[in-house]
Amino acid sequence: MGENGAGKSTLGKILAGIHRPDEGRVEIKGVARHFRSPREAQRAGVAIVHQELSFCPNLSVAENVCLSDLPRRFGRVDWRRLEERAQSHLDAIGADCDVREELGRLSPGRMQMVQVAAALATGADIFVLDEPTSSLSASEARRLEELIGTLRKRGATIIYVSHRMDEIFRFCDTVTVMRDSQHVATMPLAQTNEGDLVRLMIGRTWQKLFPEHVERAPGPECLRVEELSSPGKFRSISFSLRAGEVVGMAGLVGAGRSEVALGIFGLDARMTGGVFVAGRKAAVRCPRDAMALGIGLVSEDRKKQGLVLGMECGSNITLSSLDRLSRHGVIRLAKERSVIADFFQKLQVKAASPQVSAQTLSGGNQQKLVLAKWLARQCRILILDEPTRGVDVGAKAEIHRLIDELAAAGLAVLMISSELPEVLNLSTRVIVMRNGRIAGRLDRAEATQERVMQLMAGQNVPSLQAIPENVLVA
Amino acid sequence: MKTDQPALLNAESSQGLSTVTAARHPRFKETGLLGVVLALGLLLSLFCGTLEVPNRDTGGIVTVNKFLRADNLGNLAKNTSFFAIMAVGATFVIITGGIDLSVGSMYCLAAVCGAMFLNHFGPRGPGAGASPFWVVPGAIAICLGTGTLCGLLNGLGVVFLRVHPFVITLGTMAIYRGVAFVMTKAQAYTHFPAQFTDGLIRYEINWQGANLYPVPLAIMLGVTALAGWYLKHAVTGRHIFAVGGNEQASLFSGLPVNRVKVKVYAFSGLAAGVAAMIMLGYYGSASSDAGKGYELDVIAAAVVGGASLVGGRGTALGALLGALIIQMINNGIIILNIDQNYSQIIIGAVIVLAVLLDRINDTLREKRMARSALAAKESRQEGASQIEQSRPTP
Repeated sequence: MGENGAGKSTLGKILAGIHRPDEGRVEIKGVARHFRSPREAQRAGVAIVHQELSFCPNLSVAENVCLSDLPRRFGRVDWRRLEERAQSHLDAIGADCDVREELGRLSPGRMQMVQVAAALATGADIFVLDEPTSSLSASEARRLEELIGTLRKRGATIIYVSHRMDEIFRFCDTVTVMRDSQHVATMPLAQTNEGDLVRLMIGRTWQKLFPEHVERAPGPECLRVEELSSPGKFRSISFSLRAGEVVGMAGLVGAGRSEVALGIFGLDARMTGGVFVAGRKAAVRCPRDAMALGIGLVSEDRKKQGLVLGMECGSNITLSSLDRLSRHGVIRLAKERSVIADFFQKLQVKAASPQVSAQTLSGGNQQKLVLAKWLARQCRILILDEPTRGVDVGAKAEIHRLIDELAAAGLAVLMISSELPEVLNLSTRVIVMRNGRIAGRLDRAEATQERVMQLMAGQNVPSLQAIPENVLVA
Repeated sequence: MKTDQPALLNAESSQGLSTVTAARHPRFKETGLLGVVLALGLLLSLFCGTLEVPNRDTGGIVTVNKFLRADNLGNLAKNTSFFAIMAVGATFVIITGGIDLSVGSMYCLAAVCGAMFLNHFGPRGPGAGASPFWVVPGAIAICLGTGTLCGLLNGLGVVFLRVHPFVITLGTMAIYRGVAFVMTKAQAYTHFPAQFTDGLIRYEINWQGANLYPVPLAIMLGVTALAGWYLKHAVTGRHIFAVGGNEQASLFSGLPVNRVKVKVYAFSGLAAGVAAMIMLGYYGSASSDAGKGYELDVIAAAVVGGASLVGGRGTALGALLGALIIQMINNGIIILNIDQNYSQIIIGAVIVLAVLLDRINDTLREKRMARSALAAKESRQEGASQIEQSRPTP
C-alpha cells in the first residue's frame, strides 16, 4: 500500500524485469536474480498484470493470451493449438470469453481477465497485480476476487498493489506500506487496522503553513458547477469557487478529478450539468468558450497538453493571448517581448533566453511557463491540475508562493493535487473525490491528513455514511 | 496581471532580468542552405565548361561560362519559381504536421481552368476581342480561385472527415486531375491573349544580349517574402507552428486548431494556383497532364528546405532555397552532360542527405542548448541560495 507516487508501481515493474534496479537484488526461492528484460522475469516465473492495460487490442484474445509464446509449426503460427491453449488458460480462471474475439472489443473487466490468463500462460507462480480493480466495475471486481482465491489455492504467490483499504483487508495476508519511495513497514494484516495503515501511509508530520490569501475574506462567487456528470467518469459534482479562494481537490488517481477539470474547460462533450460563471449559466463547448469566460487550465500533463515543447519559451507564454497582443492579426512583437520579459521576471523563469525552446527548461520552469500563459491571458478562474508534479523542491516552493499570491490578488483557484501537504497548506477548503463522486468537503480547520486520507481511500467515516454504499459504487 | 499585485510578484526581479537579456541570439536558420546553394553554384560554374555564342549586338563570337550564362540563370530562375511557390505552400501544411499530396493536381486543375478561360477570350476563341482589362484579371482570379477552392476542400476534408491528410490529399490528387481531364477531354488549350502572356508573365527584358523574364522571379520572391513575414508576424503564423508543434497543447491553449488547418491547406492551393498562373503565362498552353508528379518535387523542396514532416518546423525562405537546390542539380545534370537517366538517382540521394545533415545540425544545436541549460541551472542554484538568504519562507 501507499499513496500516489509512493513507488508501488515502480517496484512492481522492477520485479517483472521492466525497469532495472540501481542497486539491491531480487531473490526468488532463495536465489538472487537480476532480470534484464521482462522475458527473463517470465522465465523465472514472475508475471505482472499492469495498472493500465498493456496489450494489443487489435489482436484476438487467443493471440494476446499466448503472445509471449505463440505455438508454431513450420515457422508459422499454429492457430488450432493456439486457440486450444488459450481456451484452457481462460477456463482455468473461469473466464468465459471467445478466444477469437478481438481484444479491443471486450469490456475492461474481461480484458483484465485476459491479462491474468496471459500471466498464467507464462507458467508463472508469482503474480504482481498492479491496481487491478482501478478500471473494473463492482461485479467485475468480484470476479477478480474469486480469481485471486483460485490462484491462491493453486499455490501461487500474489503481490497485490492497491491503495484501496477494503481490498487489502479482504484479499491479503501480509501488508507492506511504502511512502516516498521507501519501505515503511511490513506486518501481518491480522495485527493491524485501517487507522494504523492510514497513519503509516501518511507518516510525515509537517507544519501547517498559513498563506496570505487565507486571511483575507473571499470575494464574490466566480464559478459554480451544479450536478456535473459524465458517463463513466464522474457524477453529481457540485461546488462553488469564490474569488480569492484556493479550493483543493484531493483524491486517488482515477477518482475523476482531472476529468472534472477537463469537463469544466469544455473538453468533455458528454458532460451534463450546469456551469455558472459569475452567477450566469455558461455554455462551455470548447476551451475557447472557457477562455472567453476567464477560465484557465494548467493541465496535469504539461508536456502533452501544456506546452509546445519545440517552440520558444516566450511564444509559449503568449500563445493564448496573441489576440490581445496583435492588431489586425499582426503580432506587435515589441509589445509581446515586453510581456514575455515581464513574466520571466515575475515568475523567475530560469532560461538562457526567451528564445530557447521550452524543452530545454527544467520541469519547474516549464510549469512556470504554463502558469504564465494563463496569467498573460488574465484569467479570473484558474484550474491547476497537479501544479507541482515533477517539479524540484525549490521551484515547488516558488509555485506554492505564486498560487497564494494569485489568490490573494483575487483569482479563484481550483487546485487538484495528489500531495496532501500541498492541498492542506494552500487550500481555503478541500473537496475530496472518490470513484467519480464528491466523498466529502472539509473546511481548512477540519482538514487533517487523516481525515482527507480516510475520505480518499473510502474508509467509512461518519460524514460519509449518509451516502448509501450502492450509489457510491455505481 | 492586474495592478493590485502583491509585493511578492514584484520583488527580486533584478536577477530574472539579467537572465532574460543575456544570451539573446536570433539565429538565421537558412545559413546551411545558403552555403549549399553557393557551393553548388561554385562547383557548377567551375566544372561546367564554356560555350561559344554569337553576340547579338556585335555579331562576334564570345566565350561564356555555361552555368553563369544569363540565359541559363534565367532559365534556372524560371524553373525554380514554379516549385518554390508551391513549396512555400507545402511548407505551411508541413509545419502543421500535415501533408499535401494534391499540389500537382491542384496546379493542373487551376491551369486548365485558366487555360479554358484564356482560350475562350484568346485570338481564336469565340470571345476574341474582349477587353484585356478584365480578361487578364479574370484569368488571374480563376487560377488563384480554383487553387484556393481545391485547397479549401482539402482542408475541410482533413478537419471534418477526420481522415489523415495523407489519405485525403491522395484522394483529391486523383479527383482534381480527373476533373481536369474530363473538363479538357484530354485536349491541350492554347492561343491565349498576348496581354496575359507576353504582356504580363512573359514580359521580356534584354540584358547583355540575353532574353530574361523577370516576372516569375519577382512573383516567387514576393510570395516567399510575404509568407516569411506571415509566419513570423501574423497571429495565424504563430498558431501554425503551435498546432504543428503540439496539437493537443494548442487545443488546450484555446487555439482555433481547425481553422488554422483549413487555412494552411487553402494556402497550399492558392500557391499551386499562383504557380499555375505563371506556367500559363510563360508557356501559353495547358493540358490535363500539367504538373504530373510535381507533388513529390514540391515536398522534397520543402523538406530539403528544413521543414520537418513531424511538424512545428519550417521556413518560407528554406522552401525557396530547397527548390533552388533541386533545380540547380537538375540544371547541373543538363549542362554537365550527365545522362538524364541519372538525375532521379542524384536528386533522391540529395534529399536523404539534406535531411540527414539537418538532423546532425539539430543534434549539435540540442547539445549547445543543453550546455546553456546547464549553465542556467548553475546560475539558478546560486540565485536560489540568494533568495533563501534574502527572504525566509512564509
